[in-house]
Amino acid sequence: MVRFKNRYVLCELVSEDPRCRHCIEDRTLGLVVRDAIARVHGDYGLACCSISFTVKYLNAYTGTVLLRCRKDSYGLLCSALPFVRYLESRAQRYPCFLNTLHVGGTIRTCQKFLIQYNRTQLLRLLQNCATQEERQCIQKSLLSCSLTEEQSQSGDEEEDDGTE
Amino acid sequence: ELPDGGARPNAAQFKQLVVTALRELHGEVGAALPVDVLTYEEKTLSAILRVISSGLVKLWSALTLLGFYQNRRCAFRVLQTSPFLLALSGNSRELIL
Repeated sequence: MVRFKNRYVLCELVSEDPRCRHCIEDRTLGLVVRDAIARVHGDYGLACCSISFTVKYLNAYTGTVLLRCRKDSYGLLCSALPFVRYLESRAQRYPCFLNTLHVGGTIRTCQKFLIQYNRTQLLRLLQNCATQEERQCIQKSLLSCSLTEEQSQSGDEEEDDGTE
Repeated sequence: ELPDGGARPNAAQFKQLVVTALRELHGEVGAALPVDVLTYEEKTLSAILRVISSGLVKLWSALTLLGFYQNRRCAFRVLQTSPFLLALSGNSRELIL
């Protein structure tokens, strides 16, 4: 069976500036990542990785980013991600960095990993809570994202992503 | 090869040219490839370069695709490659030194 194999890289965008989260777009992020690849791996690397490069999913609230590239060049992409230092949008520069969480062969495996990861993150947030109100808020959201029989699988996943 | 008779690069500028070629094609990773200029003759503009064997492809492709030196057209011709320095001194087929 001959087909094009892709690698999906799940990253988390971390920045100290809270305004940064609201104004990221998939196009600006794609440009920033391609620029980083061009700097680190030159023309050859940029061309190699850009064959099938897209930003598949972007969640502005949690800063979750899913990038796709070919299997042959995902090493170049992963090694260039630490060189993304800031995001430029509307003539504003926000310092940030990308944490690679998971590399998978399909979107479904990345989604499964993201659900697990979000669950552990919610539990960790619960432990680190300062005030009682925050604690109650998080507990309520944890309880509300349980799987009931009427709800479908995709509904559970969306709740998981949305209640971060 | 520099077709027009302009100022010829010295050894340091030659190395700078090689590193620039690597940086353009292969980025910072390529520019960090350890390349040594073992000999350089300004008259004939020929040199012997040493590179790790895994970096030969990157170096050769970068040299091939370099077209300009200080806004003058130029070209790199690779005459011979060999893992042994001694083999570069003569034509091993005709056994002429």
